[in-house]
Amino acid sequence: MKAPILAACFLVATIRTAGAEDFIDRVDQALTISLADDQLRARLSGLLDLEYYHFPQPSPGLIRSSGHDLFTPRLSLFLDAHLGANIYFFAQSRFDTGFEPTDRGSQARLDEFAFRVTPWNDGRFNLQVGKFSTVIGNWVERHLSWDNPFINAPLPYETATLVSDIELPLTSQSFRAVPGFDKYEFLPIIWGPVYTPGFSVSGRLGIFEYAAEVKNAPVASRPETWNDYDFSDPAVDLRIGLQPNVAWRFGLSAAEGPYLRANARPLEDEGSLGDYREYLLGQDVSYARGHWQFWAEAFEARFQVPRLGDADVFAYYLEAKYKFSPQLFGALRWNQEMFDSGTDEEGRTVAKAHDIWRVEAAVAYRFTAHTQLKLQYSLANGDFVSENLGSTFALQFTLRF
Amino acid sequence: MNKNILLVIAAAIMLVPVACSAQATLEGKVVLPKTHVSPVVTERYEIVSKAGVLATNPPRAVVYLEGDFPAPATLPTKEVAQKDLAFLPPLLAIEVGTKVSFPNLDDTYHNIFSYSPAKRFDLGRYPPRENPAPFQIFDKPGLITLRCDIHEHMRGLILVLATPYFTVTDTAGNFRLTKLPAGHFVAKAWVDSRTTRSAPVDLKSGAVAHVDLP
Repeated sequence: MKAPILAACFLVATIRTAGAEDFIDRVDQALTISLADDQLRARLSGLLDLEYYHFPQPSPGLIRSSGHDLFTPRLSLFLDAHLGANIYFFAQSRFDTGFEPTDRGSQARLDEFAFRVTPWNDGRFNLQVGKFSTVIGNWVERHLSWDNPFINAPLPYETATLVSDIELPLTSQSFRAVPGFDKYEFLPIIWGPVYTPGFSVSGRLGIFEYAAEVKNAPVASRPETWNDYDFSDPAVDLRIGLQPNVAWRFGLSAAEGPYLRANARPLEDEGSLGDYREYLLGQDVSYARGHWQFWAEAFEARFQVPRLGDADVFAYYLEAKYKFSPQLFGALRWNQEMFDSGTDEEGRTVAKAHDIWRVEAAVAYRFTAHTQLKLQYSLANGDFVSENLGSTFALQFTLRF
Repeated sequence: MNKNILLVIAAAIMLVPVACSAQATLEGKVVLPKTHVSPVVTERYEIVSKAGVLATNPPRAVVYLEGDFPAPATLPTKEVAQKDLAFLPPLLAIEVGTKVSFPNLDDTYHNIFSYSPAKRFDLGRYPPRENPAPFQIFDKPGLITLRCDIHEHMRGLILVLATPYFTVTDTAGNFRLTKLPAGHFVAKAWVDSRTTRSAPVDLKSGAVAHVDLP
């Protein structure tokens, strides 16, 4: 079943005539409406992603699969609407097997929706309310399949740490012992684009950018919590940016919030859920010129863990993309994540996990302005409970309309 | 002898306006589609967005005279600028071999590219007012769809023609082609990627012919 689907993808992908491109353009035009003398404009668009993964070892990152091959389709639909010059609305719904690639069923979700008000034309102030991605870092702006040079996310956004929001260590020495673990019970530093509900303010003042958001859950929170509209103990995220010219962007981020879920166990006599927080500091930089693009981010995260104290994680990545020709580009990424070596009251190491590195290479070809085929190879050393070397081959076909 | 030469030159000078006025003119109207393009900007993941309404692009057509005409020795350089996150002009007609520059008049990066069979190119990311502006020479006839790799809503068209006689209509569809040679030709109107209309025309020196392309 999978092979014919993939073969059909390649067949579609090889249709590179101007007629095929023109057809999608006409579909795009048909999905755009304009009313009230163009004061209300709306556009429905989408991405169809067909992904295939092969991993000889247990599934990497936050991918959940019992086998060594995984095929996952995803349809993302977007609605963008402008009301006059100052009001913008957007929404994203997805039909797939789960927020993270998995072989367990199918889902339909409303991942994002938000209203944005921009009172002044120069962008000095924006107010946004809804359920939307985080302002932290610089990866979110390229996280959709068409814009992402890779198929997966950088390590800090999709690799589990030793910290769980559900399964808490019984003693400080049990922190590393995770028998029969399901890695999905553990948290990355930042969980993908973090489509959490809340509100944000942002703007640009000269070469400076600012953004702040109040959300229901912190940046490490799992997708299952993104639909909880409980703001009794909200998370706060900040980013200050500097853009001295169009080529360079620098940013400093900070985030804080309670990361334990209501069903976290055992918590008896160890305070309330709100006593245990995630703290994050981040730095990001990007550069673009001609056919080159570079990105780098570094994060220092601290999780307060019951019966343990602080679990610290440092993670960073360097990413580069180059267009070899109008339709062919390649990308390289180096990722690393390191865990701090904490000690308990008796001086014994408790929080030391295996450090992780991962190197990734991707190549993509755009057959038309609407179809793209991406291949990626990843070589990773270790995850949070092992030091094994693992490789992953991934393929992604995208149709953009 | 010198007096005779001067007389010949004087006669030639007097005849020049006569020769110019002897060139034919074609005018008329193209019925344009009623739809117009109202671009919608995608700003989902831009932390900072600016307010504003993008200009709409009312439809226009390109009217040209089809025939076997000699190639000119030189061609003027044309321009498709990027201003207010739109191509300016949104539709450009040029003759084969024309150089087109793409100045960035916005305050952000643009990355103009085309995957059209008649010309595939990618200018990469270039800053505002880059000097000299990136350019391309269009050496094959056909329709080029211009896009920006950063601003998904941006669309522009370049129609590359194998004739020196062409013009772009106004938004009502009216056109006027001047300085045409006399003879029997076919006038064509490119309306969109699927629609090109044509009509035979009989052009006479010094006369104005009229043709509508409904």
